[in-house]
Amino acid sequence: MNILEATHLTKTYTIGDREIDVLKDVSLAVPEGEFLVVQGNSGSGKTTLLSILSGLDKPTQGRVFIEGRDITDLGEDEIAPLRNEIIGFVFQSFHLVPSLTVLENVMFPAELRRDPLAGDKARALLERVGMQDRLLSFPHQLSGGEKQRAALCRALVNAPRIIFADEPTGNLDSTNGKAILELLLGLREEHGTTLILVTHSGQIARMADRTILLRDGTINGESPHAP
Amino acid sequence: MLHKSFIRRQITRSGRQALVFVLCVTLSIVTIVALDGFGSSVNEAVLKDAKSLNGGDIIVHSHQPLSPGLSRALRSWEDQESLRSVRAYGFYSVVRVPGEDRSLLATLKVVEPGYPLYGSVELQSGRRFEDVLVQGKIVVERSLLDRLSVRMGDAIHVGSATLTISDVVTREPDRPVSLFSFGPRVFVSSQDLEALDLIRKGSRIQYDALLKVHDPDNLERIAQDLRDHALQGQERVETYRTARSRIKRFFDNFLFFLTLISIFTLLLAGIGIQSVLAAFLKEKERTVAIMKTLGATSRFVAVQFVTVLGVLGLLGTLAGLALGALLQAWLPGLFRGLIPSSVQPSLSWRMAIDGFILGILVVVLFTYLPLDDLKQLKPVAIFRSESARARRGWRAALTILAVMLAFLGLIVRRSLHDFEIGMWFVLGVAAFILAAALMAQAVLWALKRARIRSLTFRQALRGLFRPRNATRAIMITLTASLSIIFSITLVEKNIDASFVQSFPPDTPNVFFLDIQPAQLQEFKEALGRPAEYYPVVRGSISRIAGEDVDVEVERRSRGDNLAREFNLTYRDHLLGDESLVEGASLFRPDWEGLQVSVLDTVLDMRPVEVGDMIAFKIQGVPMEARVSSIRARRGELIQPFFYFVFQELALRDAPQTIFTALRVDSGEISALQNRMVKRFPNVSVIDVTQAVSTLTGVMVKLSGITRFFTVFSVLAGILIIISSVLATRHARIQEAVYFKILGARNGFVLKVFTLENVLLGLVSALLALGFSQTATWLISSRLFDIPFRPFLLSSLSMLMATVSLVTLVGLISSWSILRQKPAAFLREQTEE
Repeated sequence: MNILEATHLTKTYTIGDREIDVLKDVSLAVPEGEFLVVQGNSGSGKTTLLSILSGLDKPTQGRVFIEGRDITDLGEDEIAPLRNEIIGFVFQSFHLVPSLTVLENVMFPAELRRDPLAGDKARALLERVGMQDRLLSFPHQLSGGEKQRAALCRALVNAPRIIFADEPTGNLDSTNGKAILELLLGLREEHGTTLILVTHSGQIARMADRTILLRDGTINGESPHAP
Repeated sequence: MLHKSFIRRQITRSGRQALVFVLCVTLSIVTIVALDGFGSSVNEAVLKDAKSLNGGDIIVHSHQPLSPGLSRALRSWEDQESLRSVRAYGFYSVVRVPGEDRSLLATLKVVEPGYPLYGSVELQSGRRFEDVLVQGKIVVERSLLDRLSVRMGDAIHVGSATLTISDVVTREPDRPVSLFSFGPRVFVSSQDLEALDLIRKGSRIQYDALLKVHDPDNLERIAQDLRDHALQGQERVETYRTARSRIKRFFDNFLFFLTLISIFTLLLAGIGIQSVLAAFLKEKERTVAIMKTLGATSRFVAVQFVTVLGVLGLLGTLAGLALGALLQAWLPGLFRGLIPSSVQPSLSWRMAIDGFILGILVVVLFTYLPLDDLKQLKPVAIFRSESARARRGWRAALTILAVMLAFLGLIVRRSLHDFEIGMWFVLGVAAFILAAALMAQAVLWALKRARIRSLTFRQALRGLFRPRNATRAIMITLTASLSIIFSITLVEKNIDASFVQSFPPDTPNVFFLDIQPAQLQEFKEALGRPAEYYPVVRGSISRIAGEDVDVEVERRSRGDNLAREFNLTYRDHLLGDESLVEGASLFRPDWEGLQVSVLDTVLDMRPVEVGDMIAFKIQGVPMEARVSSIRARRGELIQPFFYFVFQELALRDAPQTIFTALRVDSGEISALQNRMVKRFPNVSVIDVTQAVSTLTGVMVKLSGITRFFTVFSVLAGILIIISSVLATRHARIQEAVYFKILGARNGFVLKVFTLENVLLGLVSALLALGFSQTATWLISSRLFDIPFRPFLLSSLSMLMATVSLVTLVGLISSWSILRQKPAAFLREQTEE
């Protein structure tokens, strides 16, 4: 079963008096549990595609379905539960809330659903990634690798069915990047989560079940990889 | 659901921006709270004891001796021992030092034994007033001794009598301030009234009967009975509950005006609140976007930030209350000379609760829009800020506008008792702020397109358009607030130049009042110089253009009203500064019956046309006249003028006095005054230059107080400058670092930032000067009818002061930015 489907996605931005077509008629389907990489150079539309697939943005044309539900025209408050319970995000710039501690950042999505076990789940995840000594630290007190580990835990605390990761190792050195990727993939295996990852790294792309190549806003190739 | 850690840290970590927000909230309410408390204190100290202030339980006023009917009614109640009465006579007269050429216009009050019925007249000696004021003795105000160079025990001529100064009055119960007097007080015993020989037919005397009712339950019954016997329009019967003393009217009006200024400050501080909040929330956009990305609803986000702002708003409100209370304690000093020294600041729970509610209303009103903007923020803002906001539909925009207007209306309703005037004022201020905004926008548009060769100047100019620089908000706020301050200063200078420094050459500067008709010929001979003589007959209006005059309604109006007594006159020609605006001639030769020519000022009180009928009452005698023409005045302000002019036939035989107004060299005024008063003791002489000087002193005091309150609105602009610098701190540091990396010295960076602030201050001050010069020209030429002077040097001083202030504030706020090291900044940029 396809956990995510997108049909004829087009996205046009107006900047000043110019119109820029960032995505042009992109369609794809993602089976449940798949590790999909969206690859492309800077400006190819990868981040835009990710933000539309995850419901952060609306396409100019086209439809997006998550678990068979059309999310294209949902209002912000209607899509919020989806983001909270079904989707998890990992960003290149981490995007931790600066005024919350590591523990509070990770607990946050669970607290939104009033999960009484929010704290326990957060602690368990942070311990899992080796952050048990940094629970009360603030983001600005962490290294890049630590921030991304915290962000990863935050993305997983509600056991989402899909994780969207936008260049999760882009701001990390190779050691930390490799460690984060291993964690991400390991946790994904453990929970059977569908992972849609955006990267321009060919090395990461080779680890995926399938890679989509984006160029100038269109899918320029698709290559399934051997399991 | 409240995320307590998040809320707590948003408050504690926001630091300076939060502090500026709190200060803006404080500023918005501090002056209103202070005035509220001060007004209560004045009422408490001065006006609460209405019986003392008005002189009795029931007060009968008239400018004529009491009519027989009223006198009989009064006597009847006295005979029944229902009340006790005391008569008092008030008028101006010139007092003279025997054998010397020293004289002075004084405010006389002749009182019967038993005065005052309530309160006490306090004397310097500490003795009892009733023991001191006996036949042959007078009690005077200190300034009379100083100005006539006399001492206690000296004798002075008062009218035709020679009386001895026996004590000095320090406080009167019904005259808490001597604001409205042209001369010092002189108390005279009623036993000397006849000897004074100053009360003649038609003389300008205030006849008061002050009554003390023995049984308070009878008060209204007695008052109504006396009203039934009083001559409508000539005799007024009031109780201490209904009477509005001049002092109370003055304070009510002045405090009303100052409250308007405070609302002006509130509106400008509100711009500050919005601007500061916009900058504050801009910094939180990424946080909000992250939270929404994680599934937080708009409502959840809104609840957190409403709580943050609620706490900050509460702090601001409490600070505003505290500072308002402190300011209130200081106000008696500011108003010294206008209020009695006995006024003590008072704090009350009512004032605190009122101020608290006001603070809440202000915070809700001015944070609504920025918070709504936050709600509209989409989570994609973490990637792109351009597509981050949902567009507001016109319905939503209208709803927001309606909500804001409703809250504004609540604030006006709470602060001002006259809601209609308050809302018109607010709309006027809004229009003015809009005009300032348009002018500021036009200037910025022009500046953006200016081609500048100098690198420093060019960078400084670019700085004005830095994203998140609240340049427009600063300019609007400073322009609006400075316009008021500049206008007050320039108008004051123009009035001072026209009347005090150089009295208009053709304007009369000496008035001789209360000349009796029988004295006229002798007076003319004694004066020995040509002059126009104006007969004055006192009368009132009962009906005009088919509509009765409702005395109570008229008295409530803020400006002039038809319920008062008018000075009527008669002549057959127009005065030199008059012209006809309606009607072919002053009077119509083809009309029968009595005619009256009306001054166009009357039309402001009631629309009147040629042919309309006006019913007058003169000394109780009704008289109807047809409007034959409408006149207008032009020329200098201080020329005698009359609202109603009759034909000679109509009023020639009515009880009247005559006055004249001349232009006399200032060096001759005193001698002329002495000579004429010696011969005609009943004639009052008013040296207008002295009077204008007295009035100017009061005006300077009042305008100084107004300027003080307006300064608070300038503070709003200052706070926005500080907030703007804080909001653009990162961008400024970035600029400074890039300049240095590329080889610029610290001096260059300092020059650029300084010039940016100089430009900001200069544009704001120039716009403010433009508005204020225009306003001053309008006020001078249209309202006061005096020549307009631009006072360029003063204008330049105000401009320089503004530029210096803005530059100083901007530089102080930017100082730490200037000291930022490039390496540290660049290192920070490689991290998140």
